Amino acid sequence: MAQKPKVDPHVGRLGYLQALVNEFQETESQDAKEQVLANLANFAYDPGNYEYLRQLQVLDLFLDSLSEENETLVKFAVGGLCNLSPDKANKEHILQAGGIPLITNCLSSPNEETVLSAVTTLMYLSSPGTGSHPELTSLPLVQCMLRFSLSANIRLRNLAQIFLEDFCSPSQVAEARSQQAHSALGIPLPKTEAPQQP
Amino acid sequence: MESSLSGDDCPANLSTLGPFCSLIGHRVAHPADVVLAPRTAADKMAFSDGKPGCIFDHHVQTAVCDSRAKYRESRRPRAVKVYTINLESQYLLIQGVPAVGAMKELVERFALYGAIEQYNALDEYPAEDFTEVYLIKFVKLQSARIAKKKMDEQSFFGGLLHVCYAPEFETVEETREKLEERKAYIARATKSKDYYLTKKKLVPEQKGTKDSRQDFHSHIPGFSTAALNTSENSSPCLPYSCELPLCYFTSQTTCLPGDHVDRASNSCSGGRNHGELSKHCNLSAFSPELHVSTYKNALPCSSMQEAVTTSESVGRFMPRTTQLQERKRRRDCDRELGTFSETNTSSNEVVIGPKLPGLPPVDLQDDSLNTTANLIRGKLKEVISSVPKTPEDKLEDMYTHPRKQRRRI
Repeated sequence: MAQKPKVDPHVGRLGYLQALVNEFQETESQDAKEQVLANLANFAYDPGNYEYLRQLQVLDLFLDSLSEENETLVKFAVGGLCNLSPDKANKEHILQAGGIPLITNCLSSPNEETVLSAVTTLMYLSSPGTGSHPELTSLPLVQCMLRFSLSANIRLRNLAQIFLEDFCSPSQVAEARSQQAHSALGIPLPKTEAPQQP
Repeated sequence: MESSLSGDDCPANLSTLGPFCSLIGHRVAHPADVVLAPRTAADKMAFSDGKPGCIFDHHVQTAVCDSRAKYRESRRPRAVKVYTINLESQYLLIQGVPAVGAMKELVERFALYGAIEQYNALDEYPAEDFTEVYLIKFVKLQSARIAKKKMDEQSFFGGLLHVCYAPEFETVEETREKLEERKAYIARATKSKDYYLTKKKLVPEQKGTKDSRQDFHSHIPGFSTAALNTSENSSPCLPYSCELPLCYFTSQTTCLPGDHVDRASNSCSGGRNHGELSKHCNLSAFSPELHVSTYKNALPCSSMQEAVTTSESVGRFMPRTTQLQERKRRRDCDRELGTFSETNTSSNEVVIGPKLPGLPPVDLQDDSLNTTANLIRGKLKEVISSVPKTPEDKLEDMYTHPRKQRRRI
């Protein structure tokens, strides 16, 4: 069971977020961590909270959580990043903090939502057309997206297609395609089966 | 009305079914087939390889979390889930609809939250006995968000609806638009926030604006979005939630000229009563930049009630005085619409609006939104100016809004 921190209910939004961050850092319970991270990730949906989240370094918290072994935590963390990455200030912070490799790692997750959030976050971190961060159009990444664009998973397929069309140049795509045969196919597609029967 | 919730009480329909099979050519026998009204074919939707219409993980209702620390418990029992723009969609999947031939009522109920572009039953989707599954495509994502929030776990014809997003039905273009809109929304929200912060020493009204906006939010606690797992001391949340009263307000007006109307009315198709649905058409693109600067708290509440009265299937008690107020308001609305093209000269007071150069321009960058905002301003002016009335107005009011002495019990 999660601990109950002594929080004055009247401290407002910042106080509440602070309490969440504290609990996340102090608790031993995986359940509590998941709940708190999900809570923070949902807060990250609302631009009104971005000042607070930056102040409390929640962006770094999300980035750190990408390396967690618990896949649920990774899913929530990358979801949080997906939610707040369209904002310019957040985007710069993530780029400066070296977020791209961390997020790119999530592309190999077996969890569907994690991969989808990672692809979307990468798109939000890019600028359309040329001029985007070079890491965001690296050959392995483009090849990965090419594979995703052939996936049976419609959502993934759509997102990958948008990535290739809007954020890669035709030459990059062509190059990736031509080298497809030689690329390291170490990035598995996420599982998408229906829930198993008991 | 919210039923008491517990993740364990909700039937785990999907897990009790047989293994999922390909949908192509497979039709689940339904006892309710004979009573259903003719419906549009499911293959109108974006079927590319049969995948949409399958069960996905995100369709399954996650169990409610019951181990939350007290300080972060939510008002309603909620599962531990993160909503991203990927998951949200203008397509909603509705499960648990009792198979009693109530498709029309279901669509009407959902149409309260925004214009519906398309809907159909998903016959092949695995469903519990005597229930059906529907897919509803809203014109606007925001409508879908609100509808999901409001209709999930709601009772309908004796059954509990389970509403979830169905982004797998989106086309590439729809997904692209969705992502871009989200980006644009955040850009606007951040920009307007900066605007308010820097301009707060200007016109006092503007400051009051921000406060009233915050008050407005706190008056409608239920409007914290499903994505926000907020606590009791939640402060103002998404500007998205400002848009709802506007939606209800415009739902009563007839379609105004504007390209949005054409799109909306063209897309309200499906072989059903067009007139009925156009009543609920959202006329304008929702813009969170809609500074609810001229909103008073009273208006949104009455707008919400108005939306309730538009649906006959929702039987809620409404006090007679409120009904009279609603009727008067609707009449005024229609009257204003009739004189819409002319300037609003119904009162002798200063016209608040784009004509007044002194005030900061509240251009919503959209014709129909501006139109609606003007209507609202006009209405508010009327409300404000209702105190110094002419005898003629007073008389009219007596008939429609009798100020009787209340009987003391």
